[in-house]
Amino acid sequence: MLQIKNLSKCFEDLEVLKDVNLSVAKGEVVVIIGPSGSGKSTLLRCVNLLETPTGGEILYQGEDITHLGKKVTDYRKQVGMVFQRFNLFPLKNALENVMYAPVKLNKIPVKDAKEQAMDLLKKVGLENRAHAYPSALSGGQQQRVAIARALAMKPEILLFDEPTSALDPELVGDVLEVMKQLAKEGMTMIVVTHEMGFAKDVADRVIFMDGGFVIEEGAPQDIFKSPKNERTRTFLSRVL
Amino acid sequence: MELNFGKAINTLGPSLLGGVGIVLYITLSGFFCALAAALMIAMGRLSKNKVLSRILSVLIELIRGTPLLVQLFYIYYVIPTLLNGILSMAGYETNIQLKASTCGIIGFAVNYGCYMSEVIRSAILAVDSGQREAGLALGFSEAKVMLHFIIPPALRNSVPVFGNYLVMLIKDTSLLAMISVQELLLRTKTYASQTFLTVEAYTLLAVVYLLLSIPLSQMTGILERRLKRMP
Repeated sequence: MLQIKNLSKCFEDLEVLKDVNLSVAKGEVVVIIGPSGSGKSTLLRCVNLLETPTGGEILYQGEDITHLGKKVTDYRKQVGMVFQRFNLFPLKNALENVMYAPVKLNKIPVKDAKEQAMDLLKKVGLENRAHAYPSALSGGQQQRVAIARALAMKPEILLFDEPTSALDPELVGDVLEVMKQLAKEGMTMIVVTHEMGFAKDVADRVIFMDGGFVIEEGAPQDIFKSPKNERTRTFLSRVL
Repeated sequence: MELNFGKAINTLGPSLLGGVGIVLYITLSGFFCALAAALMIAMGRLSKNKVLSRILSVLIELIRGTPLLVQLFYIYYVIPTLLNGILSMAGYETNIQLKASTCGIIGFAVNYGCYMSEVIRSAILAVDSGQREAGLALGFSEAKVMLHFIIPPALRNSVPVFGNYLVMLIKDTSLLAMISVQELLLRTKTYASQTFLTVEAYTLLAVVYLLLSIPLSQMTGILERRLKRMP
């Protein structure tokens, strides 16, 4: 479904991604782990072109998406993103946050969009908070609304950029629960996270990145139990 | 010294009431034109087009560096003269003249537009960049992100400052007396010179300005508090 070939990204003189290769199949859950500054988030942001890659290709269903021009908006509709800091629209309540893009971009009638948004809020356990504004929601609730908002566009892939890093520890569980449910339903997901438990339980494949390179990738049991690379071992010994 | 406020109220009062209509018309038209100009200038300043941005910042410096009264004179006297001169060189004999009140509205639109554009520009820059990214990630184009997610909160955050500008604008309409707009000051000046009721006339004028500007400041305050309570 998604193939990343020889991807590189520089910010001026700083090379953040170096020759990254990665492929994601439909329905697969790929979890990217690694130390801070290893390029995980940049890789994710390149996938939906919030960052423009410096070199290499990203093939989505066989088509290179790095030179889409104005059509990039059509591509982004198929690739949802959940941010570390939620980024909900503060002047809209939870329901409006979820239904806004389908109404404005896909021209779905307001009544249908509202029904769909309520279903999604129910799915993330927040139907009783539909009319609350982001400022009145906890971090965990905001993140679940953000997930519902991304789902409202019916994306083919969902990208999660450290979705639980900005949350209080006791709020992390609810968000991870929603993500596990999505994985079970067969959603294709690329997740950058520090939640090793989630990576172990839910990932089909774990990618370890360091210094802009993909150092190692494999099934979670292989990566966590018998990492082949020294740097992976060092990292895992620190975080586990 | 004997003061005769009764006479001043009875004779100057109705004339001032007529002037209030003109002042409100020029204030509101000037303000909304300024708001539209401010939005356009702010967008131009923030655009990736370096030339446009540079030209606009020069315009802002020109406007901020010269008095409003000079700008009004320029629009009323100089621009029509220049236009007529240029057209006559091209072989067209014209006698372009602008209505004084129109010059006032144009002057306020440009002057206040420049000041307010800087307010809007900084309010736009203050909107969290995460809002832009969230909009883009959902599939909105850059322009739509601006329209749907950046400009509304930026304008909302600018409301208190706009309120202050509106009150300032009402008072600045008195400058239009200098280009013969029949607003409050000119009517008062004419009346005072005819009746010698100088103290009464100008006191009455000051009271009328207060009656116009105090409710406006109060309304701005209420609006500001309401917006604060909203999400």
